[in-house]
Amino acid sequence: MPTRAADIDVDMIYCRNIYKNYRTGKIDKAVLRGVEFTINPRDRIGLLGRNGAGKSTLIRLIGGVEMPTAGRVVRKMSCSWPLGFTGGFQGSLTGYDNARFIARIYDKPYSEMRAFVEDFTELGSQLHMPVKLYSSGMRARLAFALSLAIEFECYLIDEVIMVGDQNFQQKCREQFFEKREDRALLLASHSLSTVQKYCNKAVVLNDGIATLYEDVGEAISIYEAL
Amino acid sequence: MKRFSEGLRIQLKVIQALLIRELVTRFGRENIGFLWVMAEPLLFAGLVGLVWTFVRGPENNGFSVIAFVVSGYIPLTFLRHSFGRSAKIFQTNGPLLYHRQVKVLDFIFVRVTIEAIGAMMAYTFAAIVLVFFDVFPVPSNVGALVAGWAVYVAFVLSVCVVLAPLSEMSEVVEKLVPISVYISIPLSGVFNLAAWLPPNAREALMWSPLVSGMELMRYGLFGDLVTPYYDLTKAFGLTIVLMLIGLILCRRVRRTLTLT
Repeated sequence: MPTRAADIDVDMIYCRNIYKNYRTGKIDKAVLRGVEFTINPRDRIGLLGRNGAGKSTLIRLIGGVEMPTAGRVVRKMSCSWPLGFTGGFQGSLTGYDNARFIARIYDKPYSEMRAFVEDFTELGSQLHMPVKLYSSGMRARLAFALSLAIEFECYLIDEVIMVGDQNFQQKCREQFFEKREDRALLLASHSLSTVQKYCNKAVVLNDGIATLYEDVGEAISIYEAL
Repeated sequence: MKRFSEGLRIQLKVIQALLIRELVTRFGRENIGFLWVMAEPLLFAGLVGLVWTFVRGPENNGFSVIAFVVSGYIPLTFLRHSFGRSAKIFQTNGPLLYHRQVKVLDFIFVRVTIEAIGAMMAYTFAAIVLVFFDVFPVPSNVGALVAGWAVYVAFVLSVCVVLAPLSEMSEVVEKLVPISVYISIPLSGVFNLAAWLPPNAREALMWSPLVSGMELMRYGLFGDLVTPYYDLTKAFGLTIVLMLIGLILCRRVRRTLTLT
């Protein structure tokens, strides 16, 4: 399918008719069957769906970690890696070494990143420990700190915001809603209050199809009825 | 063209970062670190060389047995490590694929590069030590020696680019990887020169780029003591064909790769 001119000029992320099948042995499971929606700048989209509906899969596809079986993800703004419980780090390396690696591959000065990470994570000397020894909350802090230091235009968040304590949630709110109002956010979550608090739109994922609602309340009632 | 050079710049950054990361993870900070890459094959080759000297006497066909074994064994350890570490390399590095600019080929390239650098340093180091004891010749033709290494490394890289995606596609291939190392021993000219073989066997071995590389290396080392047999057309041809097959396989496997 030819790319339309309108797709190219605008800053956005466009999922065009995405299909994803997973094959284990002889069983072919279709997780996504024709997902189509757009993330515009400043969009705060909550991603709702029951267990196994394909929320993490969709986020991994948008982040480019996995490839769709059919369809395309068009990225016209810079987009973080999926911030979640797994991925993105080398477990045997320390927090500092991971920060250094990520600074290198994203072409950012390490000194600035180091300062920001130390300030945001408040992990202190634990940054000298291998990441595999971190709790999920500590990992979340590190992942958020690194991705905030890189300054993406769109952040993909898979569940992980809820594992943080009060202090962390407060910091996330500051960073995302006060300092970075102009960024986009895609937030997969089972916590309806989080979605209600953070998002101005919502996508409900059911039977491999995504439906976008401009009204978060409406999306939540649809999701609850599933 | 601009996009290509930008892409190339990013890939070089990624490869550099991966190289450093690989060194830190594999050898640690408190360890003797990178030196170990050199010490390990040297220790191995030195011991085998010693045993051979006792079994066969210090000289064979006019050159030192230790020099012959060391010069064959170090490239073989490079091959063994490269093949072994290519198995399931995409899965073991999976968490890093969360960063879109990191490509699966970078992993293979970095592994082989590290192994090659280590092996060449071990080779140089061994040569310096053994020359001092007068059991190793001063290379008579450094150009041929380097060219031989280049042929050898290029072929090992191309095999790894095929092995890595195959090991993701099938468990059987993963288990067969160690065997592939043993298969390659007679095909790699480690323990013999092509000149010692009957002509028809020699002709067949010219299909192995490893033999061509090894013959060139030994010629560069021993000079006119060796009559080298090599076929660069076949060596490059096979390397390029394998590389192309590997690139296609990598691309296909990446599309269906599931990371947990």
